Amino acid sequence: MKHSLLVVSLCLPLGACWMGRAQTNEPLDAIKAAQLVPGTSKASDVVALLGGPNDVVQLGRRTAYQYIATTEKSAGLWLFALALTNVDARQDRVWVFFDEHDVLTHIGSTFESHRAQWALPWEDVHAAEDAEARDLARPGVGQ
Amino acid sequence: MRLAPRPRLLLLLLLLSMATSASCVRGRYRRVLWNEPVDPAAFAALRPGEDTLETCLQALGAPVRVVEHRVDAGRRSGVALAYYWLDSSSWGISVSPPRSSGVSYRFDSTGADLPGCVLWFDQQLVLERARAGMVGALLPQRRQPAPVLDDA
Repeated sequence: MKHSLLVVSLCLPLGACWMGRAQTNEPLDAIKAAQLVPGTSKASDVVALLGGPNDVVQLGRRTAYQYIATTEKSAGLWLFALALTNVDARQDRVWVFFDEHDVLTHIGSTFESHRAQWALPWEDVHAAEDAEARDLARPGVGQ
Repeated sequence: MRLAPRPRLLLLLLLLSMATSASCVRGRYRRVLWNEPVDPAAFAALRPGEDTLETCLQALGAPVRVVEHRVDAGRRSGVALAYYWLDSSSWGISVSPPRSSGVSYRFDSTGADLPGCVLWFDQQLVLERARAGMVGALLPQRRQPAPVLDDA
């Protein structure tokens, strides 16, 4: 009995698990992004709707604004001296392109930050049907 | 002095616990998923000379990176879009002898470059070419600073 207690007390501090979440920027609003109209919206309209961009890229006489948000979920397991860790990061990205008169010409958007999941390294958590179900739950994305 | 089998097992467990608790030897297995790959069928369906920036953005979504491509003397430029992602598993081990001062060994199998694809568009924003591979090899590593637009 004494030995068992000793073994258990030695093993207890050696095993642990944890979960973490990191959010970089607020997730982008897909409904607001859908209100932008190429050929009509101007840079000032985009900024009024989506806020200040994360990056502005000069493309000759044109410009492009980048909006980005990242959700990262991490999970891990300590087993004696072995750490098993999984990090899953997904992004929302919107790129808007303007001509030299600051009129919106093109828009490209990807909304995936809601698909980040906690998992262990051997798990495959990104099945297509799971992504679809998560898209449906996010306003402006899955409908 | 000879120990009986059970005390010997306990001693072994104790030593193992002490070694690992003191962080002498640590192993790790790590998987990192970052962004989703573009749809291979959508990428394969792109047609240089026919597809435009608009149709490519509809097919592949928003890129991770946008850079200038072929800026001429009149400051007209094409565009390059880069999509990249990561699904990598790596393992590593670190050994830190407790009696040494600042000596440790670490091995890491993580790679440096990322798989992805790059699309290049001409000044009329028509697709010139599309390539898949390691993005670091497809795109220049440094971006030139934009010229000052003093007559804009």
